[in-house]
Amino acid sequence: MMNSLTSIWAEARSNPLLLVLWLAVAALAAYVFVNGGYLMAVLQFACIYVVFVAGLNLFMGFTGQVSFGHNAFAAISGYTSAVLTATYGWDPVPAAVLGIGGALACALIVGYPVLRLRGHYLAMATLAIGLIAYEVAVQWDSVTQGYMGISGIAPLGVGRWTITSDRGILIFLIVVALLSLLMVRGIRRSRLGRSFVAVAGSEDAARALGIDVARTKLLAFLISAGYAAVAGSLFVHAVGFVSPEVFGLHMVVLAFTMLYVGGIGTIVGPVFGAVIVALLPETFRGFKEYQDLAYGAALVLILIYTPRGLVSLPDLWRRRKAAQKTDVQQTSARQGGAA
Amino acid sequence: MLDLVAQSILSGIGVGCIYGLIGIGFCVIYNASGIVNFAQGAFVMMGGMVTYTAFARYGLPLPLAAALAIVLVAFAGVVLERLVVRPLWNRGSTMFVMILATLAAQIVIERLALLAAGDQPRTLPVFTDRPPLRILGLAVNFQFLWIVACSLLVIVLLALFFSSTKTGKAMRACSINRDAAALQGIPVSRMLALAFALSAALGAFAGILITPTQYTAFNVGVPFAISGFIAAIVGGFGRPLGAFTGGILLGVAQALAIVFLGSAFKNVAALSILLLFLFVRPTGLLGPAK
Repeated sequence: MMNSLTSIWAEARSNPLLLVLWLAVAALAAYVFVNGGYLMAVLQFACIYVVFVAGLNLFMGFTGQVSFGHNAFAAISGYTSAVLTATYGWDPVPAAVLGIGGALACALIVGYPVLRLRGHYLAMATLAIGLIAYEVAVQWDSVTQGYMGISGIAPLGVGRWTITSDRGILIFLIVVALLSLLMVRGIRRSRLGRSFVAVAGSEDAARALGIDVARTKLLAFLISAGYAAVAGSLFVHAVGFVSPEVFGLHMVVLAFTMLYVGGIGTIVGPVFGAVIVALLPETFRGFKEYQDLAYGAALVLILIYTPRGLVSLPDLWRRRKAAQKTDVQQTSARQGGAA
Repeated sequence: MLDLVAQSILSGIGVGCIYGLIGIGFCVIYNASGIVNFAQGAFVMMGGMVTYTAFARYGLPLPLAAALAIVLVAFAGVVLERLVVRPLWNRGSTMFVMILATLAAQIVIERLALLAAGDQPRTLPVFTDRPPLRILGLAVNFQFLWIVACSLLVIVLLALFFSSTKTGKAMRACSINRDAAALQGIPVSRMLALAFALSAALGAFAGILITPTQYTAFNVGVPFAISGFIAAIVGGFGRPLGAFTGGILLGVAQALAIVFLGSAFKNVAALSILLLFLFVRPTGLLGPAK
């Protein structure tokens, strides 16, 4: 754990943009903690999405797969938490544990056949899983109450100890987000993480190195589904309300935008992606149609112009400068030759 | 009960033709470029919405409104290709990025439609307003006949286009080998734009045909796109005729699911068919195109 912390620090020191971003995020958190208000909800929301996006990053950024359906796992755990606490009066912790366990079990069942697929088949199969979860949440209204949603979900806490203040929730969520990030870092540097990256590079080469490709992909899928499930449970307990829209296609687009803004395949990218996208002024206003419009358009632009995200910008500039320099040298060399 | 099942199968065939047309739209772009365009559903939605706007708000006669919608949506297909697909294509983006970008484009178009036309479902009048024919005890309404006849006509025209026109042959050459096609002097990138226009027009046509029997709204695109994709998968991706067959099978299966399971889970049923096919026979009923 310490190791991960120091390595994140080392990376930040070598990349001035990263350092500035970290400082900005820390300053924002401190400001919000002192002043509270509207930004409090934004930051809590961002922290939950850090967890979700960090898991997605593990599966897509490191392992080179694709999933449009991780909202399904957030929905399973989120709805389990919601129904068990609001309808049956369970404690949040056992409800969340059961929800996350259920989501992992589902991930295991669908993961095995889904991960044999590649390319657009994989993309469509995962999209279908996400949509099935959404449809079930809408249609199974005897349990999920359909579009109405479930309110009165128990806040985070154990027994009589509950976290109800906004500041308390924020601190808790920041701690969870940081822990999940450190875990990603730890996984990335482990043997397992290296085999993820090897699979992304070339499945054949990975197999030649003795990596069990199917098992590695399944593990990446399960871990990222676990992250999604944690995010789903955190969301319903922190907000106290859930409806199908929370875990719809909107969640997927939002998460992808965050992933690509921050930088896919980097460890700290999800933090900046989540915070920046959550801060976009429309995020928490009532006009959901403008939000999705903005996210969709932003996502297209990012995919075209900075496919490796914000964290890669200094790299990009450096390379562009270097390219200009060689251009100038070549031109002057050519002119020299002509003279 | 038997009557109900037969009637459902009939209506399933009608909807299935629509899925088939959308599935063919997927195939046209896929064959020309290897791209799976996840914004395909947006064309279907726009077809219905533009026709409705031209017909109901500006008072154009229905055939003219439909023709206008097809042209406009085909143009929108080219715009999509220029603004989203082409830049990514030139940068050599991976397939996932392309899928994600077209999905994002789908959502952008959807939200623009919501802003422009509101969230109310719209519908068009049936093309021929007469009581349904009775054939062997089944009620066959005229819109069903329109759908089946138009779909078959489109398929014949497409087959003629691909087999006997120079442009159609050039597009087929691109689907066999793009590099070799380029060496023969075929403008490959223009073929890509053309494929998007053709595919968008197909989607719009499907949207116009189905709107009188159902409705159209800003958010019908994704379900239609997924049904079309399922049709294409069931038929073996890249085979237009396979996609049409797959569409009809899907339409019938969905209609039966409604009879036996209730309408609430019809989308779940369709998605489950997709997963089943992907898991058991991802190359489709007829095998892969190449």
